[in-house]
Amino acid sequence: MATSTNTPQTFKFYRELYILKKVIQKSVVSAIALTMVLSAGIGLAQAKEKVKVTFIAPLTGGVSANGIGGRNSADLAVQLRNADANAKYEYELVALDSECKPNVGVQVATKAAADKKIIGGVTHYCSAVAIGAVDVYKKFGLPVIVWAAVLPDVTYGNKYKEVHRVNGTMINQNDTAANFMAGLGYKKWVVIHDTTDYGKGHNKYFSEALAKTDGKILATFGVTSEQQDFTAELTKAKSLNPDVIYFGGLTPIGVRIRSQMEKLGLKAGFQGTSGIMSEAYLKGLGPLSEGTVAFREGAPIDKLPGGAMFVKKYKEQGYSENPEAYGPFAFAAMNLLLDTIEKVGPDRKKVRKALNKTADRDSIVGKITFDEYGQNTVAAITKYVAQDGKWAVWEDSEYGSGKRKLTGLK
Amino acid sequence: MDTSKDMLIGLVAIVLGSIFTITFIAIESETGIIGLIALSGAAVVLASRTGISERISNAFSSNESMMNSAVLVAVLVIIFWFREDHFSLLMIATVMLYLTACLGLNIQLGYTGVVNFSGAAFFGIGCYTAAVLNQNTGLSPLIVLVIGGIMAALIGSILILPMLRTRGHYAAVVTIAFAILFKTFLEVNDTLGGAQGLKVPGMEILGWDFNSNIEIGDEIELSFYLNYVAIALVLSVLAFILMRRVERSWIGLNLDAVRLDETVAACFGISIKRWKVTAFTMGNFLIGMSGAVFAMMLGFIAPSNFAFSDSLMLLSIVLLGGMGSPWGTVVAAGLVILLPEKLQVIQEYRFLLFAVVVILILVFKPQGLLPRGLRAYIPGWRG
Repeated sequence: MATSTNTPQTFKFYRELYILKKVIQKSVVSAIALTMVLSAGIGLAQAKEKVKVTFIAPLTGGVSANGIGGRNSADLAVQLRNADANAKYEYELVALDSECKPNVGVQVATKAAADKKIIGGVTHYCSAVAIGAVDVYKKFGLPVIVWAAVLPDVTYGNKYKEVHRVNGTMINQNDTAANFMAGLGYKKWVVIHDTTDYGKGHNKYFSEALAKTDGKILATFGVTSEQQDFTAELTKAKSLNPDVIYFGGLTPIGVRIRSQMEKLGLKAGFQGTSGIMSEAYLKGLGPLSEGTVAFREGAPIDKLPGGAMFVKKYKEQGYSENPEAYGPFAFAAMNLLLDTIEKVGPDRKKVRKALNKTADRDSIVGKITFDEYGQNTVAAITKYVAQDGKWAVWEDSEYGSGKRKLTGLK
Repeated sequence: MDTSKDMLIGLVAIVLGSIFTITFIAIESETGIIGLIALSGAAVVLASRTGISERISNAFSSNESMMNSAVLVAVLVIIFWFREDHFSLLMIATVMLYLTACLGLNIQLGYTGVVNFSGAAFFGIGCYTAAVLNQNTGLSPLIVLVIGGIMAALIGSILILPMLRTRGHYAAVVTIAFAILFKTFLEVNDTLGGAQGLKVPGMEILGWDFNSNIEIGDEIELSFYLNYVAIALVLSVLAFILMRRVERSWIGLNLDAVRLDETVAACFGISIKRWKVTAFTMGNFLIGMSGAVFAMMLGFIAPSNFAFSDSLMLLSIVLLGGMGSPWGTVVAAGLVILLPEKLQVIQEYRFLLFAVVVILILVFKPQGLLPRGLRAYIPGWRG
């Protein structure tokens, strides 16, 4: 019975099986060897634990230039940290696009916050998005540092331990603006603001700040951001004979209002907010821009403590877009986050706790100290004036030195 | 004779489709996503070349209730798969709510030919109704949801007056004007939060808080978004059934007649105004209702969510899916909502690629992804 199986066919079959077995054995051995070599190699390269951090900003749409500038700056912070041999972890930046729309913002915030591998974030340029997303961070316990949204309520509207902010708010900006302008000797204001949250917020906080000085607001006008003709508002303003027009809004209508003031012969000073601080404002108005005063958080890049280093490294990385005004804030916020993770480890709760205690820390945008709301209290506001087609820091300008005089000053 | 074979192919397609959806939602890597997009494109081309897609559509028309339930089961499986994953569930619920809204738009545009460029505005009316009612009253969210729909329908009925007096492009301009008016109104209206927006408290039905995770025993903790997914699913299924029923009824016949030729329809004694009002109101009701749930789910709304571009996005779902085709709307809603989100990996270039995909689809399928077939009065009826 047993011999009957030893036919030539079965023999052939066994031989094939034997060859197959050899082949498998060989390949298994080599596979194991290969895996060992590979894992050793990876082990060397990946001695550091991987940690994910997120960055959220509008990367598409109308304000994407600012978002992309911030993204590059945050990326720079991560790249520099990964290049540093002393860093304990290897960081991966997850950049998400909020489109400057609250619904998309809440969506991407949920995406980041629900991902347990993400330890912290540097988030939001748009205030309307930030205010909607803070609840998400609270719900999921993701510590974040806001890098550019200026609406006070983002930090002051809640007591969330997860939310911090390195840049100043509209409150800081307008406190400085009101005190400075009143200090120069201006007495009577007419306020024009656009009806977006940006313009309305500026109106509110400037009015509050000015009430503490001896300045007076004669009239307030709200205009929509698409409005072309301001004759009605400006004629009314002219009849009130103000010393200075305060404008809370962005460049496009700022240009229109300033040029129409000239047409109507309204001789008053023109004071703007960070919203008109752009090259487009100067170019759009030409010589008319002369003497416009504006305020912005942070010092100009060349005056920042690490500004020169930041500009140099940014160039070295070869980003094709500019860092824009808030880039340094994104860089500083990301650095602060990475420093904190280095110190306490990749654990959301510990990072949150450590961030809350941040006080008197050096960064390229100046000292950072968070108050109980997570707001940076050391908000440096710089005063600017348009001089010869450039935004000059007030103290360095010919206006500051008394050589030239602003319109409307008696 | 081929029906059982067709049905088998249809079921296999549903299984493959749900596997694809799960992979598509779960995948995060750049190459993976772009690979999947290419793969799905190839699969669709292959299916239409080999006649498989025709057989699938046969399966759907001849065994309708069976296939519909199969899709529903597939959706439930997908939801169950992501039961603990907050973000995926949020996306799924968003797709379903947009689907509901677009089914409403489809009744207007796809059946009756009433162009509505203010879909996002009606969606917004639902959102703001929910926000105001949830903040100021203790009404049950289910009632709030219905009121959201009614408000949209009511405000739509004001708009219907100028719309009935105009035709074609002019009627479209009326709705465009309304969309812009609505957003500007919200921006200057401080009691509704102005440009900054409003917080919306979440849903709570009889002590069942929709915004906390569902805990079963100590082991299982399900995402709280599951609550909203459930509600969105119910809504979208109801809207789907409504749309199908309308299509097969004499109402749908009248609507079609109005769309195809107003003069002829009027000659046959069909009241153009009556059916336009009916379709417009019904559509707005659905849009408003989905808006109300959307607001409660998201927890925060602002006027910039309801811009003209968002109305265009809703319309693009309808057009991309194929006018008057509910299944097309389902596929298109998934595509238009999920694709830009998945393309987050390529950051600032994502809308570029998204636009290219949409244009490619319309080049090869100018009638939309799944064009509306011939009217089937009775399920399974093949003329």
